[in-house]
Amino acid sequence: MTTSLSNDEVVDRALEALRAGRVGTAEVFVRDALSGSVETKDGELEVVTARGERGLGVRVLDGQRIGFAHTSDLAHSGIEACVDQARRMATITEPDDDIRIAGTSIDLVDLDIFQPGLEERPLADRGAIALAVERAARSVDPRITHFRKTSYSDAEVTTVIATTLGVRASYRESFCGAMTSAVATQNGERQIGYHGEGARRIAELDPDSVGARAAQRAIEKLGAKPFPTQKIPVVLDPWMAMSLLGAISPLFSADNVLKGRSLFAGKVSERVANERVTIVDDARRKGGLRSAPFDGEGVTTTTRILVERGVLRGYLVNLKTARKTNGPPTGNARRGSYASPSRIGPSNFYIEAGRDDPEALVRGLDRSLAVTSLLNLHTIDPVSGEFSLGATGTYLERGAPIYPVQGITIAGNLTHLLSSISGVGTDLTFGASGIGSPTLVIAELSVGGT
Amino acid sequence: MTVRDVERALRTALSRGGDFAELFWERHETLQLVLDDQRIEDAITGVDQGAGVRVVHGERTVYANGNVTDVDDVMAIAGRAARSVADESGLHEAARLTPDELPLPHSVAIDPRSVPVERKVALLRLANDAARAHGRVSQATVSYAESVQEILVANSDGIHRTDTRVRVNFAVQVVAKDGAVLESGFEAVRGTRGFEMLTEDAVREAAETAARRAVLNVGAQPAPAGTYTVVLSSEAGGTLIHESVGHGLEADLNLKGLSVYSGRIGEKVASELITVIDDGRDPGQRGTAAMDDEATPTQRTVLIEKGILKTYLSDRKHAEKLGIKRSGNARRESFRHLPICRMTNTMIASGESDPEEIVRSVKDGIFVKKMGGGQVDVVSGNFAFEVTECYRIRDGKIAEPLRGATLVGQGPKLMSEIDMVGWDLGYSTGTCGKDGQGAPVADAQPTLRIPSVVIGGKVS
Repeated sequence: MTTSLSNDEVVDRALEALRAGRVGTAEVFVRDALSGSVETKDGELEVVTARGERGLGVRVLDGQRIGFAHTSDLAHSGIEACVDQARRMATITEPDDDIRIAGTSIDLVDLDIFQPGLEERPLADRGAIALAVERAARSVDPRITHFRKTSYSDAEVTTVIATTLGVRASYRESFCGAMTSAVATQNGERQIGYHGEGARRIAELDPDSVGARAAQRAIEKLGAKPFPTQKIPVVLDPWMAMSLLGAISPLFSADNVLKGRSLFAGKVSERVANERVTIVDDARRKGGLRSAPFDGEGVTTTTRILVERGVLRGYLVNLKTARKTNGPPTGNARRGSYASPSRIGPSNFYIEAGRDDPEALVRGLDRSLAVTSLLNLHTIDPVSGEFSLGATGTYLERGAPIYPVQGITIAGNLTHLLSSISGVGTDLTFGASGIGSPTLVIAELSVGGT
Repeated sequence: MTVRDVERALRTALSRGGDFAELFWERHETLQLVLDDQRIEDAITGVDQGAGVRVVHGERTVYANGNVTDVDDVMAIAGRAARSVADESGLHEAARLTPDELPLPHSVAIDPRSVPVERKVALLRLANDAARAHGRVSQATVSYAESVQEILVANSDGIHRTDTRVRVNFAVQVVAKDGAVLESGFEAVRGTRGFEMLTEDAVREAAETAARRAVLNVGAQPAPAGTYTVVLSSEAGGTLIHESVGHGLEADLNLKGLSVYSGRIGEKVASELITVIDDGRDPGQRGTAAMDDEATPTQRTVLIEKGILKTYLSDRKHAEKLGIKRSGNARRESFRHLPICRMTNTMIASGESDPEEIVRSVKDGIFVKKMGGGQVDVVSGNFAFEVTECYRIRDGKIAEPLRGATLVGQGPKLMSEIDMVGWDLGYSTGTCGKDGQGAPVADAQPTLRIPSVVIGGKVS
């Protein structure tokens, strides 16, 4: 086997190649990940997967033109070829005076995001977690008869960044997650319930809660009926609220704002949500699933209030948009992989807990619809803010479930949704995507049905 | 990798037991250029290369993979897969490999890698200018992507087969503004084709369509919520068939008995006007390839014939377990994933009605001219899809435009209710997501009439 270069040697070699090519400014990014997963079927392990991934991404800034190339060939020749390709790409793009490569040293802190040894654990340990999820789901109700898929996965990841302007830092992180889609059967009717959770450490992952919640999600839909078209107060539990909150995050992107693709453009210091709503982006949350000491451009991350009691306070910013808006970069250049350049995005993005007990909130509504699943979230257009989604739900009177409904739609505009939030629960919960929300009550939404 | 190297990897994979071993090797070269806000902002290139080794023993599958470039590293992956297998029942031999390559259903005339970058940049500008020529257009993003994926699939049954998939994807996203209202419009030209697909006319037309759609929506009324008669134009594309039926016919879900179509082969599952086909050999379409990602030749599969369910979309494992013929529908996003059963190019076959007559037959309803993305819950059959361009039908005539509509229903119920099928056929392209993997697909349908279906929109 050929001896491979260490991550630091790969970075050194790339920086040398840049110097040798007389590239003025550039950024080098290495990500090294080991991951594994198991899937179960009928109480047995059905699929076992192991993956090793390591790669290099190089961003060259030449005459204010940016070029990007990536490779997984980390031999000397592969690194040099990648640098050459990045330089070639920088001849294609057009100059932008505001593009910058990071030059300020990174404030490194321990964010409690790494559990060593996750990838050395025996296969049986991983299998046991997935099997516990299935067992927990079955124990909720005998009507849980099948599983579409149950899996457990984990990963250990090292990220290294270096720039020709002297920035150099690295961090390690770990992830583990369990999910299942449980199927409930009753009188020939079948309903599915999905639930997944993620954590930085095994001890923080509760397989019983994953299985039980998925089972409840399936059971609560059994006997679902059509529902008449109407306007009605809508209850979003933390998991349903998070999925809509994820669709709202592009409105905060400074890039979208500057390019006229965000309804929040020009709205700083204006009211954009109900006064009960405070939205935070916190990349420094201890143990957070999207916490990191620095972002994909090598900028120190921050904790920020984006919406304070309904008033817009700022946007998510990277180095380029910071220059364009005369503000500091906020460390929101998110990097999905070594093979793609960073894009503006949120870190741990959440609505702060409110003051209302979630059950009391729902009891206070004469009639309401609690959403239990949403279809087509990926089609929400962040530009127009319009959403029109397939849904299932439970019709409630004074908080008591009357009957489940299916074949309905909920529709509105994301900006209207934020201003119509009339109740915020105390139950802030974070999901596997790093997004968090408490229970929300929307004063009124359009529900399409019969 | 030489054939001998591949044989060695398969032998290593089976060295601790197992019934079947497979090596999937991939080299995927990509270039992406993005023009945004009047400027070429991104030029991104790279090679994604790696291998995955699968060992099947009894009911368990082990899969080891990595983004490696070196033959020694592929051997290490094979060893890693073998280490998760401990089978005392004896060792299986890997058969000797016979290399071959299957013919493509179409030819690639111009390898996009051979085209000068200036030509690609010129097309981006052409589309940008065409989109911005429309009044009210406030922003445009145009992207060009080329992708050349070379794969090798070899297995212990003696298969050693290579395939090259050349794809181009030219996409235009336009924002139109009117006061405080923003709307976007999207259109793409994409397929398993060479650069010849991206003529100036095709690119200009895509840009104009995206711009027209954004401008139309910015001036449109919100769609009403409720139950309506809907005509889906053939131009609308095939998201309906993909979501309402296609996913439910994937063999993995049917083996588990989880689909609304499970155990129903030979039964009537749709109106007799409905014939559904998946065709992985439809020339140049986005879901087309010579073989699937297990080296099974792609084919044209009749899934539903005049309302009767005929078969499922299968991979190797599920075809064997269900006792059906392999349909060449094992697909994977990359070497990072095991193949799963999924669609290629899926369509409802043309019928006999005059499309104009179908519109004329509706007194009060909705005319859907373009569909966007969709999603289905295969267990209940409930689906939803986005409508990106639609109009009210009044007295058999297409009337005012509507925006923000979605269409929901239940697959088998909807398919049994369709009562008019046009003689035309229109395609759309997309990227299908399943189990965290994306796959390029195309869908097609004729003009259809649905007597009664729930439209999501605003309640006045």
